[in-house]
Amino acid sequence: MKKLIVMSAAVLLYSSLFAQDNKKWFTRTGQISFFSKTTAENIDAKNNEVFSLIDAEKGEVAFQVLVTGFKFTKALMEEHFNENYLESTKFPKAVFKGTIADLSKVNFANDGSYLVDIIGDLTIHGVTNQVKLPATIIVKNGKVNAETKFTVKLDDYKIKVPNLVANQISETVDVAVNCNYDPYKS
Amino acid sequence: MRIVCLLAALLLVQKIYSQDSLDNILDKEVSAQQALKPAKVFATFKGTHLINSRTNETIKKNEIDFRVSHRFGDIAGEYGGENSFFGLENSTDIKISFDYGITNRLTAGISRAKGATAIRQLYEGSLKYKLLEQTANNKMPVSVTAFTNAVVSSMASNTKANTPDHFDQFSDRMSYTGQLIIARKFSDRFSLMLIPTFVHTNYVIASDQNDVWAVGVGGRLKITKRMSLIVDYYKTFRGSNSIAQFKTKGLKFYNPLGIGLEFETGGHVFDFNFTNSTALLENQFIPYTTTSWLSGQFRWGFNISRIFSFKKNK
Repeated sequence: MKKLIVMSAAVLLYSSLFAQDNKKWFTRTGQISFFSKTTAENIDAKNNEVFSLIDAEKGEVAFQVLVTGFKFTKALMEEHFNENYLESTKFPKAVFKGTIADLSKVNFANDGSYLVDIIGDLTIHGVTNQVKLPATIIVKNGKVNAETKFTVKLDDYKIKVPNLVANQISETVDVAVNCNYDPYKS
Repeated sequence: MRIVCLLAALLLVQKIYSQDSLDNILDKEVSAQQALKPAKVFATFKGTHLINSRTNETIKKNEIDFRVSHRFGDIAGEYGGENSFFGLENSTDIKISFDYGITNRLTAGISRAKGATAIRQLYEGSLKYKLLEQTANNKMPVSVTAFTNAVVSSMASNTKANTPDHFDQFSDRMSYTGQLIIARKFSDRFSLMLIPTFVHTNYVIASDQNDVWAVGVGGRLKITKRMSLIVDYYKTFRGSNSIAQFKTKGLKFYNPLGIGLEFETGGHVFDFNFTNSTALLENQFIPYTTTSWLSGQFRWGFNISRIFSFKKNK
């Protein structure tokens, strides 16, 4: 019996140590911007309410973005973006879930800049695709910054552009993500 | 053996516990944010007007809405038919307007309308202010917008007294509208609004009344992504005295009803409609619609809107 208690205590202790060790990084003010350029019109939008978590232990990365949070210069573009293209009432969130492919490269405890690939599932407009995002993770003074740039092909996410405005909207959109993480306290 | 079991159980518990995954945490955080700052319902209606009616929508800051509205002549009845090519050779009213977004909530407008009753050559100044906005979580179930205008006629005064266009002084040329536009977007496809309205005309003939109350309803049903069926209707409340007096002059009042199809292209919104009202400004079509659908006195009309933005894309 004694052995049992000691053993359980050891496991619990281990697990609590492990939990403390299992550091998560969090932000609710990450930034995503995208840009689409055609000869007719440039479209750009920014969203400063990106929610993201990094599990430093497991190398897991997750993002959630409210589509309605994208702000455009022209109000009409914002309305069309939400109503016609992203259908944000039907698909309110864009989500990414992935893992850092080369986690061993990154030391979240040490200051440094690390180039990594994050592989995972990107869901936009209700359509999920596997993507590989080249990212830079910078650890500095107990904070983590992560940055990535990638291209989204509208067709991959079943975002249809009617012929009428096809010359104003590019088939691909350049996306840039920049997040400053703080340690997550649950 | 027992130890192994227990250890396994503990490890399992720990595993489940740590599987309060990133997703779950983010879900919770996003929900909390949404509760704190609920998303506003957008695009309840496609433009600032439906057919005859205004909607709860305003023009966004630093943008301008240029709008042309046209109503043709009677399709059938005494003045319609083959003789006027079903009204297309006549026009009852034409309006050109500019609405400017001072803020996202406040729109100021000016317009010029031909006018369709005895009073013509109208200039209108208007203000529209978004009081409340419907939220996605239904904490605020409706959008409420206040609208008011002042209209002045620039036509020459009739020399005969007790005619609607006999103006003794400048203020006789003025009329006003006040509205509360209560709108709700029920789904992506269906929006409805209710519009308590008050129209005041400074100078009216002896049998007429200065103040007329009305209530409007308007609805939009999306048929495809870019095409909607739109309807608006006003129930006008006139005193039985004035109704009876006008009847002796052979004039009967009807409630204006418009039915149309609205199309949205990239930057334009336009609609084709049919309506029994001849005039385009509330100050006229609410108190003075004297044409009836049942007598063939309805007409084809259209509204075209184009938004111009003064904001530069970087």
